[in-house]
Amino acid sequence: MFFPEDTARQSVEDVQIEISNCDKYCITYDNFKNKKFYGLIEKPHNRFDVNISGIATSGIDIYEKYTNNPFEFSLLKAQTELTMPGELMTEYHKKLELDTFSGPYYKALYIMNTLPDTFKYTPGVTEVHESAENALALGQGVCQDFAHIMISLLRMEGIPARYVVGMMLGEGSSHAWVEVLCNGYWYGFDPTNRKLVNDEYIRVSCGRDSNDCSVIKGSFYGIVTQKQSETVTVEEI
Amino acid sequence: MNQIIKKSETINKLLSRYGVKFGIYKNGTFKEQLFPFDPIPRVIKHDEFLFLEKGLTQRVDALNCFLLDIYSNKQIVKDGIIPEEFIYSAKGFLPPCDGVVPPKKIYSHISGIDLVQSKDDNWYILEDNLRVPSGASYPMISRELQRRSAPDAFSSNSVIDNRNYADLLKEVMDYVNTGGINVILSPGRYNAAFFEHSYLAEMTGAVLTTGKDIVCENDNLYYIDYNGKKQRVGAVYRRISDEYLDPMTFNEESVIGIPHIFEAYKKGNVALLNAPGNGIADDKGIYYFVPKMIKYYLGEDAVLMNAPTYLPFYEEDMNYVLSNFDKLVIKDVAEAGGYGVIFGNSLTKEKKAEFIDLLKSQPRRFIAQEVIDFYDLDILDEKGNQVPRKADLRAFVLSNGKTKVWPSGLTRFSRDPDSFIVNSSQGGGFKDTWVLSR
Repeated sequence: MFFPEDTARQSVEDVQIEISNCDKYCITYDNFKNKKFYGLIEKPHNRFDVNISGIATSGIDIYEKYTNNPFEFSLLKAQTELTMPGELMTEYHKKLELDTFSGPYYKALYIMNTLPDTFKYTPGVTEVHESAENALALGQGVCQDFAHIMISLLRMEGIPARYVVGMMLGEGSSHAWVEVLCNGYWYGFDPTNRKLVNDEYIRVSCGRDSNDCSVIKGSFYGIVTQKQSETVTVEEI
Repeated sequence: MNQIIKKSETINKLLSRYGVKFGIYKNGTFKEQLFPFDPIPRVIKHDEFLFLEKGLTQRVDALNCFLLDIYSNKQIVKDGIIPEEFIYSAKGFLPPCDGVVPPKKIYSHISGIDLVQSKDDNWYILEDNLRVPSGASYPMISRELQRRSAPDAFSSNSVIDNRNYADLLKEVMDYVNTGGINVILSPGRYNAAFFEHSYLAEMTGAVLTTGKDIVCENDNLYYIDYNGKKQRVGAVYRRISDEYLDPMTFNEESVIGIPHIFEAYKKGNVALLNAPGNGIADDKGIYYFVPKMIKYYLGEDAVLMNAPTYLPFYEEDMNYVLSNFDKLVIKDVAEAGGYGVIFGNSLTKEKKAEFIDLLKSQPRRFIAQEVIDFYDLDILDEKGNQVPRKADLRAFVLSNGKTKVWPSGLTRFSRDPDSFIVNSSQGGGFKDTWVLSR
């Protein structure tokens, strides 16, 4: 499970992690420098809860500086299975005529501002890991789909873009948005809310697409049905 | 040799009794099939083997250098030898492996390099298999059984003893072991190569296991024995492909892997043979660059040739491919196992035009190769006549600080006279491979 980490934009203090049935866990980082912990529960159990709380100071720097890492640069320019454009995405990309804008920032801004005109926010229509192409075909989806479509378009322009999962003031679950590399900085764009990312946003993890950023993953032995629920509360102090 | 031919039937019966089988899934059901053994061996002369040994060692060394480079500095990309399009968008490049250095810096411990001999007596590399190459157990056990039927055939013909494979494999596991036992991780009983997993475990003294008996705890890996006691694992010869190895890092739907094994590996607490991420080096698109890699990393010219290959990605090669389309074979780099292979002359006019459009729009997706005229090997057909068939050779190269070529290999042949496909799943058979000591 991922949890927030200090970045140029935010600092995180007083992190408390409580896991039922399990007191042993390890902390590790993935290749996008996301912080996560994992553990093993050997005893039979039919429920397990994770509670994380902490205090984040946000908006320290508005943008995160790009550290000259060619791995990150080239990788975030390459399409993934979920962002790979098909016919519809290619057509949509053509229609936007992004050539008329100079530089990644204005292209990203235009995509963010126009996407909600063609794509509607409707929960429960798309699958957990839906591709940008399929989401666009449906014409509606959630924040994850907005982010995938935007990333796909940017990568078609050869602009490195990453998928970000985080929390937002006033939301009941986790949120997803896009960070775009412009002039040496990562700028945050939230196409779902047509909004530039500001100090109301707390970042948890980032990656190439939603596959890299699942907030929690796990596996168990046993023939049972499973249910998972998630609640996020962000309050200003 | 005649003695072995006479005993051919007995040897095949013994092979079946020992369970030398491979499983295939057809229409959703699992079937086990015998892997037919042909008694006429492929004979490789001593000089020829020395030549192959030199070329294979060099190739595997360069591929190991490439893997270390591509998952760290990527100097070969920075120096413009390989375009970045061939790295980051390739399926085989696994971002979680970036910056992870395996124990003793070895990525490909066991490499299976497929070669063919052409009619003009040249050897060509067909493909590199650096992920989970299988097949070594078949020549091992068939040699063992042949020795029983014809005890002096091997010494009187000066054939190098190939029964040292298990020792070589054990040496490799011990060399990279980080402290603990060696295990062979199999997907289980219904895997196509389960015979091989169990045979290699028996011969190397490693513990044969499936994912269910292994846990990762505090960044270490443990095998849970029959008493429920945990034993530290130092090296895993895993016979599970990368995507199923760790559901927490790769394919989350995998139920045959070990959750978090990648964390233990990343922190240097266990060796994985072969290292995850090797798929980038045996990718069809990267194949083209292997001779350049040998020059780049080792400063040597490649001893063994690639089949002449063209990358439509380069304009010059695209022009060549378009003007020589009918005599080439085109391969889709994303496909494997004989799929996505198109012989230029087999297409109708419309299909050809259609394909050329596709090629032009996605040049990165394809490679084109000259068709190699195989040198055929004789096999014994059902009536006992010697008939020529297409055959290839999988050479096994093991790396434990020193790179060694096993003086044997898996010679596979197609039973169908018109087929080029030697895969065991397509009904092919195998032969012993004799490497002569003088």
